[in-house]
Amino acid sequence: MAEQQLPERQSPLEPDYHPGSHGNFEHGVDVILSETRPGSILQLAAWPGEEKRLIEIIRKVTGLTLPDGAGGGTSSGARAVFGFAPGKFTVVDEAEGLAAAFAGVITPAIGTLTDLSHGRTAIRIAGPKAEWVMAKFFAIDFALPAFPLGAGRSTNHHDIFAQIQRTGADQFDIYVFRSFARSFWKALCHASEEVGYEVQ
Amino acid sequence: MLITCPYCGPRDVIEFTYQGDGNRERPQPASQDLDAWNAYVYDRLNPAGDHNEIWQHSGGCRAHLRVVRNTITHEILSTAFARGGHKAEGRS
Amino acid sequence: MSPRRTETGGCIDRLRTIRFTFDGAPYTGHIGDTLASALLANGVTLFGRSFKYHRPRGLLAAGVEEPNALVTVLRGEVREPNIPATMVEIYDGLVAVSQNRTPSLTWDIGAINQLGGKILSAGFYYKTFMGPVFGPLKGTRFWMFCEHFIRRAAGLGKAGTAPDPARYERMNAFCDVLVVGSGPAGLMAAKAAADQGARVILADLEAHFGGSANWSGETIDGMPAVDWAQRMAAQLAGNDNVRLLPRTTVWGYYDGNTLAALERVTDHKEVAAKGEPRQRYWAIRAGTVVLATGSFERPLVFPDNDRPGVMLAHAAERYVNEYGVLPGQRVALFTNNDSAYRSAVALKEAGAAVVAIIDVRSDVTNEMRRLASDAEAELLAGHAVVATEGGKALTGLKVQRFDAMSGSLSGDERSIHADSLLMSGGWSPTIHLASQAGAKAEWDPARQAFLPPKPTQRWIGAGAFTGSFSTAEAIAEGRAAGLQAAGGTASSGPLPVVEAAPGDSDPAPVFEIRAKGKSFVDFQHDVTAEDVRLAHREGFVSVEHLKRYTTLGMATDQGKNSNVPGLAIMAEALGKPIPEVGTTRFRPPYTAVSIGSLAAERFGDLKPERLTPMHDWHIANGARMYSAGLWYRPMIYGLPGETVEQAYVREARATRDSAGIVDVSTLGKIAVQGPDAAEFLDRVYTNMFSTLAVGKARYGLMLREDGLAFDDGTTWRLGEQEFLMTTTTANAGKVMQHLEYFLDVIWPELKVTVTSVTDEWAGAAIGGPNARAILAACVTGTAVDNATLPFMGIVHGRIAGVPVMICRLSFSGEMAFEVYSGAGYGTRVWEALIEAGKPFGLVTYGLEALGTMRIEKGHVTGAEIDGRTTARDLHLDWMLSKKKPFIGSAMMDREGLIAPDRLELVGLIALDNRALNGGGHIVEELDEANPHDSLGHITACCYSPALGKYIALALVKGGKARHGTRAFVSDPLRNRFGPVEIVSSHFYDPDGSRMHG
Repeated sequence: MAEQQLPERQSPLEPDYHPGSHGNFEHGVDVILSETRPGSILQLAAWPGEEKRLIEIIRKVTGLTLPDGAGGGTSSGARAVFGFAPGKFTVVDEAEGLAAAFAGVITPAIGTLTDLSHGRTAIRIAGPKAEWVMAKFFAIDFALPAFPLGAGRSTNHHDIFAQIQRTGADQFDIYVFRSFARSFWKALCHASEEVGYEVQ
Repeated sequence: MLITCPYCGPRDVIEFTYQGDGNRERPQPASQDLDAWNAYVYDRLNPAGDHNEIWQHSGGCRAHLRVVRNTITHEILSTAFARGGHKAEGRS
Repeated sequence: MSPRRTETGGCIDRLRTIRFTFDGAPYTGHIGDTLASALLANGVTLFGRSFKYHRPRGLLAAGVEEPNALVTVLRGEVREPNIPATMVEIYDGLVAVSQNRTPSLTWDIGAINQLGGKILSAGFYYKTFMGPVFGPLKGTRFWMFCEHFIRRAAGLGKAGTAPDPARYERMNAFCDVLVVGSGPAGLMAAKAAADQGARVILADLEAHFGGSANWSGETIDGMPAVDWAQRMAAQLAGNDNVRLLPRTTVWGYYDGNTLAALERVTDHKEVAAKGEPRQRYWAIRAGTVVLATGSFERPLVFPDNDRPGVMLAHAAERYVNEYGVLPGQRVALFTNNDSAYRSAVALKEAGAAVVAIIDVRSDVTNEMRRLASDAEAELLAGHAVVATEGGKALTGLKVQRFDAMSGSLSGDERSIHADSLLMSGGWSPTIHLASQAGAKAEWDPARQAFLPPKPTQRWIGAGAFTGSFSTAEAIAEGRAAGLQAAGGTASSGPLPVVEAAPGDSDPAPVFEIRAKGKSFVDFQHDVTAEDVRLAHREGFVSVEHLKRYTTLGMATDQGKNSNVPGLAIMAEALGKPIPEVGTTRFRPPYTAVSIGSLAAERFGDLKPERLTPMHDWHIANGARMYSAGLWYRPMIYGLPGETVEQAYVREARATRDSAGIVDVSTLGKIAVQGPDAAEFLDRVYTNMFSTLAVGKARYGLMLREDGLAFDDGTTWRLGEQEFLMTTTTANAGKVMQHLEYFLDVIWPELKVTVTSVTDEWAGAAIGGPNARAILAACVTGTAVDNATLPFMGIVHGRIAGVPVMICRLSFSGEMAFEVYSGAGYGTRVWEALIEAGKPFGLVTYGLEALGTMRIEKGHVTGAEIDGRTTARDLHLDWMLSKKKPFIGSAMMDREGLIAPDRLELVGLIALDNRALNGGGHIVEELDEANPHDSLGHITACCYSPALGKYIALALVKGGKARHGTRAFVSDPLRNRFGPVEIVSSHFYDPDGSRMHG
């Protein structure tokens, strides 16, 4: 498909996105917050029994091999994938147009593809206090053994639904509904003041 | 109260939505048996003790679960996906 | 140095002076002091006035159980009342004030209540506020007026009214082992578990770890216990797998080993660091909990046992050993067990004169006799204190011979001069958390105490908590508990060796000395032994009733001191043993918890804001926003000087005259995909969707299982196996759950995925006679003429270079189109449409105009689909397919749902040309004085620019049959009465010629 060059998308965080150091940063910045703005955020779903085929398709299209088990995932540079529900996976790419790459290969016999590139906002928190700040929002265990590298989790912070992938020992990518993103972002900044944070 | 989601593991009850008595049986869609429909829509067991319940992990993977819960002690005796078939992908 | 400060000893830093005020007077203390210890060091004996009688009160305890010395701490305008002075760490600039006194602590007018003691007895409130049952004051407002003053006279601190600017936070924590309490047992447990590699959290409500080791004066492993504790804490702090939480009270034990704790992060600091919360609410999920919460020493109940200067024996020991403060110069002790002897020695060593040890037991061991002589104290075995003397400070006491078996007093009273009387009535394990966790406490006759129940959750007890009161036992049990909690079995070498004073903490079963005078059981609520007996005489036999009637144990200290003495006195009155009287179950919270900490980060509006992609544009362009659920939507785009009505009338009129545009991004949108998607929709909707052609949309209605209307919206067929369902904004979440439920639970065989895509799409609805021309001016890649884009047709094209999906459908009743684009392009497309609309006078309109136009068209929304109406009630029965079953089809024809007298949708026109109100009732005959016989009610109303009248939608009995008839609106709440005409709900363009074009 000949995609014509699309204009830049508007970030839902714009008026409240203030690059620089904030909060109690005089003693150092302990978390870095950023909006990663991936071009593609897809939801792939397999019918019961078709999960392995879908995982194989994901490997072929993205080059990423999903580990076994619930909530398993992996990431490499521009791309990331993780399971977030039975038979369901989130696939992310820095570039736009990943949906097109999957469109032909996920047949009705295997499952479905839903493009959420606009509908979800990706926020990254990284740094030595990332687990500490995340624990203020989510009632899940962020310790590395309980939440291994690459793994995904579905959880919520009150009304805000979130999918979280661990993309580093002290780095998490949080996918929230776009309409809630600014509210969540403001709360995240507020909660990060204690440890000193930098917005990149 | 913690409920162990077969996919997500143990999570706080605030992530779940109670979706009713799990003992109900829905009549065939075309059934005209009003008594059966009435029982399905309105009758609830409400036992003091072990109870079959449906819970949705609405603040997580959104799967519906069949949960056996003791209504006196709140002990969760078992949880399983309401929709079968995904077991291979679940936590053991 | 303060008069009562010892030269050496204690955990305070004498080189660093802290300045603070209490009741306006300046004082100094040292780092390590609590407000209680600092004031005591300054010679303060009077700390508060009692709850009912306004009796002068001093310090009873040194820890969290303090019932008397409650203070209010002020920070700027913010006041926090009812904090035990024993739990306030002093800091420079601390401002604390005493409570329940007018005008001052020393001269308190309320002390006159002491004269009316008989009236203020048990059940006082129940009896008093019932009011006189006969006589001139019966049921009068005057009595209510009196109540105000009576209630004001009794009480604790005043809550503040200023907003609290402090920050509170919630933390979620997970661990293998949570150790509650950091005395020798807790420290050993934490260490043993940590050594096994377990993830450990150690929480203690005090500022410093160590518990009793900080003041016991014992020796552990050859060093002072306090040094041993510090060394243990330092070792733990060095472990990556250990989280230490000082100043953290674990206050709730819930199902699934979930515990709640409150950390006082900055209460002891002069200023918080930036972003630092004042308090943190910890929700801890623990694999296993080690309860090492220690025990409370119990007061003895005897006349005037509340006089300032009467203190718990261990508390005095603690003031001496931990804070370097002597509670008195001439000290007497009164006990029913051995533990007070050690206290006596400690006070002697610190420089006090111990004038007497009064022991209710006549049999005192030689070991204790030796301790008494070490303390150079006269030992009065087989004696009891029968009175205390003094005003705002103790001056002396009277003792008599006492027989512990019969409880009888004999012989002459003897006076003893003392400025401090230290008492010990035995020890009660702090079993609150175990009790919260579910099981009933068990009475132990040897300990004369309730011991923790058998665990119903995964916890292990250790130390004094289990009734093992010696440090050596605590250390052994602590290590065993820690090992077991961490799943380890390995013995980790020899246990630390404890050198402690001898003695057996098991008390004689003596709780009360019955003599003339007020003997307090519950100090904080001013409940006396006589009140307990009075309650019994008045017929209260259940411990639960007794508690509520006398308010025993219901103050902020929750009976930490009074529980067992109260039960013992009750048991005696009933003539039953204590275990048969039973104890009440402890409930959370263990100590007071700030509401701020529970609200945590949900400050301000409490709810997150949900914003559409065009939100900032709306704000920048003068929209007045309206919160609809969590969403924020433009209500009007008012011009300067316009009222809301003027604005929406202008917006609606301009739309019908030319064109208007509204943000519809908030509509619920659900992607329904898969081979069985069409079949699924046929089951979910009352009408058919499998027959819908790709590229077309259809209006659909859903029912609930019980046959009542649930939600409506259009669903677009984007592909053979792909639909985009729209729902009402309010019901989006509910509909999603409804669909997921049926797919998971009822029809798991259907291959359908449902996904919320509400946020994926920005939606703009553009309507009006010029809407198509405006679209044509900015859309590329597709035509929008009637042939290409018929009513309910869908086309794909581009606007401003970005892909859009356009569906021709109408909510306003005009020729209208919904333009969807990726949310990130929402503002771009919106602005392009606005720009293209300029030559046509396109207006932006908000919810008010949207509502106005839908009322004019008679479209239903949540106000009409209110969970009580059926499809027929709303004249939507044409949508009920007869070709297939669907959700609700079996139940929708039940007798009550098809009855002729149901409320049906109608239109109303105000005949007096005045605005109608939602919720106003419709009646056949107007009776303003006595409104009755409602026919139904108004669901939505507006001024209709199209009709030039005030109109409304209503649900009215008889419905269509009443079209063309007159009735009245009867709205007594808003005093709105007047004639209306009942008409069809399709006020405007009933044949739809405008939208079909």
